[in-house]
Amino acid sequence: MRVVIAEDNALLREGLVLLLSSSGHEVAGVAATGPEILPLLLEQRPDVAVLDVRLPPGFRDEGLRAALAAREQLPGLPVLVLSQYVEETYAAELLGGGARGVGYLLKDRIGRVDEFLDALERVAAGGTALDPEVVAELLARRRDDPLDSLTPREREVLELMAQGHDNGTIARSMVVTERAVHKHIGNVFAKLGLPPSDSGGHRRVLAVLAYLNA
Amino acid sequence: MREAIKEAARAWWHLLIGAVFAVLCQLMAAVALFTAFLTLTVIGAGVLPESVLLLRLLAGRERSRTAARTGAPVPEAYLPLEGPLPARVRTAVTDPGTHRDLVWAAAHAVYGMALWCVSLVVWACALPVDGVWTGLAGRRPLVLPLIGRLAGLETDWARALLTPAPSAARDAALAARVEQLTATRAGAVAAHGAELRRIERDLHDGAQARLVALSMRIGLARRAYDSDPATARRLLDDAQDQAEEALAELRHVVRGIHPPILTDRGLTGAVRALAASSGLEVEVSVTGLDGHGGHDEGNGRKGSDASNGSDASNGSDASNGGYGTRAPAAVEAAAYFVVAEALTNAAKHSGAARASVALLREPAGLRVLVEDAGRGGAEAGERGGSGLTGMRRRVAALDGTVRLTSPRGGPTVIEVELPCVW
Repeated sequence: MRVVIAEDNALLREGLVLLLSSSGHEVAGVAATGPEILPLLLEQRPDVAVLDVRLPPGFRDEGLRAALAAREQLPGLPVLVLSQYVEETYAAELLGGGARGVGYLLKDRIGRVDEFLDALERVAAGGTALDPEVVAELLARRRDDPLDSLTPREREVLELMAQGHDNGTIARSMVVTERAVHKHIGNVFAKLGLPPSDSGGHRRVLAVLAYLNA
Repeated sequence: MREAIKEAARAWWHLLIGAVFAVLCQLMAAVALFTAFLTLTVIGAGVLPESVLLLRLLAGRERSRTAARTGAPVPEAYLPLEGPLPARVRTAVTDPGTHRDLVWAAAHAVYGMALWCVSLVVWACALPVDGVWTGLAGRRPLVLPLIGRLAGLETDWARALLTPAPSAARDAALAARVEQLTATRAGAVAAHGAELRRIERDLHDGAQARLVALSMRIGLARRAYDSDPATARRLLDDAQDQAEEALAELRHVVRGIHPPILTDRGLTGAVRALAASSGLEVEVSVTGLDGHGGHDEGNGRKGSDASNGSDASNGSDASNGGYGTRAPAAVEAAAYFVVAEALTNAAKHSGAARASVALLREPAGLRVLVEDAGRGGAEAGERGGSGLTGMRRRVAALDGTVRLTSPRGGPTVIEVELPCVW
């Protein structure tokens, strides 16, 4: 995959370049400030963009704004946004244009190299990667509703679904069969009163998130 | 006639007390001389501040007497007599108030007595003259009102002599303000110190300890690397867990110091984010901040927010230099914590489904209002306890005030004022 990176911290930038190129990806371009991002993306048309939220010159949310602008100009461009901390508001803004090819992760997750690369590939392929912390916040917020009726396993499945994982990954990470996952998902959707959804991917994520937000 | 006599009697009574004060002034003069003499011989320095206080007492009575008769207060301005004896003596001697009081006492010792004596003469004349004038000629009394005029002279002179110069009044007001600021600054410094110690302890017990453990595990893994790869792998897994926990710990500490979203989005954006993630329907209104002039709504459903595109417009106006009017960082952080705490309490305890937050820019500072239509009773129960205490401390450190009204049955209103310069 051809990847464009925006990260102002040289240490992290070099680390990301090393990580990506050593796992068989091509780093097509590197930006260190917010204003560089959009021209670079327009020029390189990468398969996926990895953007830090806080960048010079303002050190606010330049990366996030660039991501939103890029998705307006290059519809369908997969964007993975990384941050030192996560805000539900930012997740909502990113998902506002649809969850297709959107990722929002804590920088901490880069350390789990395989999981990070998996998330990156998922996003590049049009899937979703939402940080577990965002999902946990969303779940913690809902009170007095069918969420309480979920079994711990079903709850775990719901969290993994909301993070954007497909059935295969969920099965592997819970060490159960895909068939079992399928059953859990059926139960979750029934208990929450959502229309059944067989497929993985962004549409299911949106349904789950819409439920958590409603 | 009867009215005139009553009026004259009242004036004469004032003059009589004035005469008594004149005697007291003479005594005071004797005390002053005696004190001065004692002070010259050094032994008596201790008496000096006490006699100045006595003088202030006497002048104070004269002020209230004058105020009572004329209906207008006579201002006073003294330097506080505080500190060790030498400082008190110095202040007592140099205070312009002391000099003013001494001048008045000297003058009053003379005119207080003189005016009273004159009033006696006037009485003696008034009874026959006015008796004939009003009784036989049916005219208004002529001489009796003179006594009122005499009393008027006394109050005029007292007011002129006892009113401090305008600069003295200003100095006294300034001194009081300095005293108040010193006290609040001491509070702020103490709160800041406590905050630094808390951060230091958090880092020391949390992230730092985890990093040490992490480094240790990596060291062990290196040693086991060749001989026992399985153990090395387990140690590295542990090390990664430790690293992630350290990062989470650091994020937590950073949020406690200054929430990053304040830097990104300003107070308005940060409060909207709080409202959106509170789990309540929250109406946010902002006046005079971040370039938002009016009233707009951020409901608690970020899904709908995102779908109607309000976030995009929000984003663009912030990038057009919407950060024009921002409060100092400490004030923004305090306001943010107030709203966070209030909304958390509302969501947890009040039973309300809706709340409203108002941020108002005022000439002297920032006003924050959080209201929920829940069951109230927040001050009575333990429930708001530590959160509310923390809120009060944080606000007090900035010289601000917290007002909480939460009658049983609601609504609960928290109103916080944070003074600042815009």
